[in-house]
Amino acid sequence: MNSSGAGGDGKHDDDSALAEFLSSLMDYTPTIPDELVEHYLARSGFQCPDLRLTRLVAVAAQKFITDVASDALQHCKARLSAPVKDKSKQPKEKKLILTMDDLSKALRENGVNLKHQEYFADSPSTGMDPSTREEN
Amino acid sequence: MNDGGKESGQDNQNNNSTKKSSLPSPSSGGADDFSRSIAKIAVSQVCESAGFHGSRHSALDSLADILIQYIHDLSKASHFYANLSGRTACNVFDIIQGLKDLEAPRGFPGASDIHQCAVGSGVIKEITRFVDTYEENPFARPVPSFPIARQPKPITSFAQVGEATAGKHIPDWLPVFPDQHTYIHTPVWKERTSDPKADKIEQVRQRRKAEGSLLGLQQRLACNGAAMSAPAVDYIGKGKQVVGSNPFLAPPLPPGEKQVSEVVVPDEPAEGKRVSILETFAPAIEAAKQGSFIPNVSLKNRVLPSKRPTVHFKFGVDKNSIAMQVSSVAAGAKRDTWFLRDDEKDDKKRRAEMILKESMEKPDGLAQL
Repeated sequence: MNSSGAGGDGKHDDDSALAEFLSSLMDYTPTIPDELVEHYLARSGFQCPDLRLTRLVAVAAQKFITDVASDALQHCKARLSAPVKDKSKQPKEKKLILTMDDLSKALRENGVNLKHQEYFADSPSTGMDPSTREEN
Repeated sequence: MNDGGKESGQDNQNNNSTKKSSLPSPSSGGADDFSRSIAKIAVSQVCESAGFHGSRHSALDSLADILIQYIHDLSKASHFYANLSGRTACNVFDIIQGLKDLEAPRGFPGASDIHQCAVGSGVIKEITRFVDTYEENPFARPVPSFPIARQPKPITSFAQVGEATAGKHIPDWLPVFPDQHTYIHTPVWKERTSDPKADKIEQVRQRRKAEGSLLGLQQRLACNGAAMSAPAVDYIGKGKQVVGSNPFLAPPLPPGEKQVSEVVVPDEPAEGKRVSILETFAPAIEAAKQGSFIPNVSLKNRVLPSKRPTVHFKFGVDKNSIAMQVSSVAAGAKRDTWFLRDDEKDDKKRRAEMILKESMEKPDGLAQL
């Protein structure tokens, strides 16, 4: 794993950076609770008593979710800001709601294919045009 | 955070059925629901921090599922790399390698450089930047203890106990043996099939039975002696009772105590060695002809009735007479009460006569004795 390639000085810097990052994880509390991560790690056979590694997994997962969420947010904003032909249907208040449409698009960019099931009635307004929905 | 109103969250579970199928036993029960709810809360917190005002239940469910799947995949990949290196416990390099695998489809800085050191990987740098950039956003509420025992209780090894192993071939990290009394010897008691009270009653009953039969035997012996009925008694049992009453085994009586067999002694010497059978048994035949065998014998010859069995024993050698006697006795049914019946006495007389006749027909059988 520690194959040759990186320069000797850079390697030393990376070593110290990694050690520093790992030690900083002890003070950083991820949004995903440690218990949840440990539970799923144990279920897949992952064995490590080090809390820093658990935190590292939690942070990585949180980063992924955050990336997906920010992508979905951009999609949502783009959809809301799109020019609406019918001015009467323009919602008065622009609320950012995470919907399956935006999430699907964001996840597709991150390599996850998630399709909103057509028959699934999420709310009474499901199936209508997103812009015409009564956003709550 | 507004999580999308009051729509039913139960129906939304169906939305993620495709995602759930890859997880181990998604509908296993409380533990999975519990962790899934916590993941949902965490995801909604992340979404809120990302800038959303609200979200649909279905979207939150999907995102929570993806979070769980991400952790699962990452841990599986890390575990795989740890096993590949011959370890059971993962270290940070296994996680970095797993992250590289997971992030490969998205792409990360330095992904193209396959010779790059894992320590300086672009994945770690991105995560470091993420940690530095985003402010800490802890979980909203304290997580109650998971309804699952996280660590199974390990069995203490030889080394922990400080006990020496039984042999050099047993390494000291193996778990200790259980207590010796659990496997060296296990006492086994025989199961009692019945209670002791019933056993005692049965024992007493059998003893009484034995005493009763012994008493009956003694009575019969006494009656036999009185009635001169040796054949039946002798053939009932050929065991110790017969031997006890065997006159041949009895110590010889002093001379003069009993007057024996005057029939034989006075007349024979004069005639010489040859003894006429007819003359020898003349009194018995005479008595049998008269019909009252026993009294005559006792009167005329003064031979004790108890001595009569000797006569039978001599004739018992002949097979024919034995068979006839057995048939005439007619086995055990009559033996119990035969001495009480008069007709049985007549039968006895007839038998005695028959025996005598038989002996007269076969004189050599008598001479042998």
